[in-house]
Amino acid sequence: MKWATRRGIHVDRAACAWLIRRSIDPDAEFVFVDDPSEVPAGATPFDMRGAELGHHAGDCSFETILRRYDLDDETLWDIARIVHEADLADERYDAPEAPGLDVICRGLSMTHDDPELLTITGAIFDGLYEHRRRALLLGREPA
Amino acid sequence: MAARLKWVFLLYRLPRNPSTPRIALWRGLRRLGTVQLADGLVALPLDARTKEQLEWLAEEVVDACGEASIWIAEAGSAAQERALAGRMAEAVAAEYRAVSAAALAARSSSPAARRRTLRRLRRELRAIRLRDFFPPPEATEARQAVEGLAGAREATA
Repeated sequence: MKWATRRGIHVDRAACAWLIRRSIDPDAEFVFVDDPSEVPAGATPFDMRGAELGHHAGDCSFETILRRYDLDDETLWDIARIVHEADLADERYDAPEAPGLDVICRGLSMTHDDPELLTITGAIFDGLYEHRRRALLLGREPA
Repeated sequence: MAARLKWVFLLYRLPRNPSTPRIALWRGLRRLGTVQLADGLVALPLDARTKEQLEWLAEEVVDACGEASIWIAEAGSAAQERALAGRMAEAVAAEYRAVSAAALAARSSSPAARRRTLRRLRRELRAIRLRDFFPPPEATEARQAVEGLAGAREATA
């Protein structure tokens, strides 16, 4: 399937792309556009104005996708806490990891184009997932 | 002569009731550090992040049965641009002054209380910096006042 989002990826879109490949569509193909009108026919837009998979009722797009696709993995919701604060910083959640994740993504967007950035952030989110999965399992920060 | 700044405007109209979306919007605008130009018109200096954040707020206005649009603008004169930047700098300067005052007041408290205040004020400073587009001198003063609470670290720095 084709998925479309805005060019100039930042943390919420990087997290969404990782989530889509991981939990919804392993063969997902991503297209980057400048304007909602450029979304190719048949592609599902995400993290764009007017898209169903966007920000809604104070949720960031990552949270919206978790809800729309009924992904109730508690580790994914723990990552949503971090992504929400990295994207919005509205202090809805306690997420000390968020400012770090935010600057890492911002820095990567200065040195890499969107497809490269998704490859790198994919590995970052894989690692984050494993870390948070173990943390939730142990009930403490893993060594 | 430097080129003029570009600004992103959010023009909006939101029903007076219910008040929840109005309050959510007001909080969002405050968090982003927007400057109010007129009733229902706010501005931020344009960059990828500010435009995106205002677009999401516009989306929330529309979700709440209001009207919203995003515009890119440039001040008609350098003086106008300076006045707008000055208003924004003054707004964050007031926030920095409050942080400095809280840091100075905490100097004489117990080490445990000082550490708690240090943590809180560092977090507050981070939030203010996210909406500080024209850093006033108070920004440096506030950082120094807060880090002064760290004491031991200051001595080794």
